[in-house]
Amino acid sequence: MISAYILITMHPGKSDKAIKEMRQIDNVAKISIIAGEYDIVVRAQVKNLEELLDVTDKLQMIEGVNKTTTQIIEKEIALQ
Amino acid sequence: MIIRKKYLFYVLAITSSFIAAAVTGVDSFVGGQPAFIHDPWAFAFCLFFVGAIITLLISLLFSVPIKGKSIGAKVLDPSFKRVRMVQKNEVKYHLTAGLMNAINTIGYCAIVSQIQDPSVILSFSQIVILYLLLMESFIEKDVPTLVEVQSSIIVAFGAILASISLTGEFEVLPILIVFVVINPTWAIFSIYQRKLKIMKVHNRPNDSINIRFWNVVFSFIFITIILFVFDVFTSGTHLISGFITAISPDYFFLLALTMGTTFFSYVLYIRSLGMGKASVNSALRASTIIFAIPFSIILLKLGVITNFSTDPVMLIIKVIGIVMIIMGIISFALTVVKAYIFIDVKTGRPLRETMQKLWNIRGVSHVTITSGKNDFIVKVSTRTLMKGYERIIKKLDEIEEIKKYRWASVLKDWEKI
Repeated sequence: MISAYILITMHPGKSDKAIKEMRQIDNVAKISIIAGEYDIVVRAQVKNLEELLDVTDKLQMIEGVNKTTTQIIEKEIALQ
Repeated sequence: MIIRKKYLFYVLAITSSFIAAAVTGVDSFVGGQPAFIHDPWAFAFCLFFVGAIITLLISLLFSVPIKGKSIGAKVLDPSFKRVRMVQKNEVKYHLTAGLMNAINTIGYCAIVSQIQDPSVILSFSQIVILYLLLMESFIEKDVPTLVEVQSSIIVAFGAILASISLTGEFEVLPILIVFVVINPTWAIFSIYQRKLKIMKVHNRPNDSINIRFWNVVFSFIFITIILFVFDVFTSGTHLISGFITAISPDYFFLLALTMGTTFFSYVLYIRSLGMGKASVNSALRASTIIFAIPFSIILLKLGVITNFSTDPVMLIIKVIGIVMIIMGIISFALTVVKAYIFIDVKTGRPLRETMQKLWNIRGVSHVTITSGKNDFIVKVSTRTLMKGYERIIKKLDEIEEIKKYRWASVLKDWEKI
């Protein structure tokens, strides 16, 4: 299983609709709206890089998404 | 389905409380049966004997795969695949949680056998929240904040007020059992169940169905040992009479009903333990008190409870208690600040060491080493932004390997269930 953070910069005023569409994408485990350099953080969980490409492709197709930066998780420690 | 994680946590904890209230109603009926009323030891044994069988059956049923996913994963816990053997690193936690659950259940059965009204049974056990706050400040990474302490006290005292018996009963022995037996064992049990839930097994998050199944098995083993020793020293027959009662069809199905329902309550509780601290979970579980009231009324209608006070003073006290519980829970829910921190480190520094330093910071819930623009993406959770600065930012500044970091507060989030 591969996990990755996809950091998204949005065009202003399109977030609500875009979030609704992101929630429909398979392999999206978490979505967070954040304040700062990026607007949205998506956590994807996929079986292989091909599936990760599918997720980023689908995200980029959503209206309002300006730019995506994908960061694959190499190691993780988590409380849950 | 993707829903807001905060909602998922509250849905799990409160649904678990609702089921727990129903179970308490059934328990007080079962505990009031002639075979158990004078022998709470046998009652506790019966619960785990039948519980182990029924939990195994339910867990096996949930292990059946449908379209590549087990039924359990679809309906209860996405981390569940199938019933599996307990792992080496889980044993010590299961042993402690099992022992605590066994002792807790003996105390609980002693109370259920003596009192009819479930809302009395649940009363002072809510003080466990304060026990947990104290324990967590020693054991967990996160020391409770003022808001948590305040909210917990509001909930605990609200629960006491709300659970004053509508029948007007107040007995010293059950209260003593609650303070000396039930509360400490429940606090340790909850902390160890949480440790199991946040553990990874075969590189996957541990699942609540296996945790519950093995907890019942270990509790059964401990309760058998305790009863055997007790019987030997007192020349008693609790173990034998418990076994004979448990296999009697009259009681087996009643016990199977209570333990089958308990299974769902605990699985949801364990899942919610994986999402929030044991003290916050226990505060949410205090809503059991509210749910117990309709069940008390049902028991009254069914003739299980004979006395029912409609004294307005008593009812007003109960309403005040309920309002306090709700206020406390809302205050918990509204005071969490979450954030991502994007971190770049200086070159030539080992990432694993830095990762450990980041993990040691209180309030850090996820540390990930990532490929790409940032070296680390860290997720933190704190009660206030000021605490975030004092506990997290100051500690980041002390890590010399860090070149640059950017804090990004989470405004809203969703998680797949």
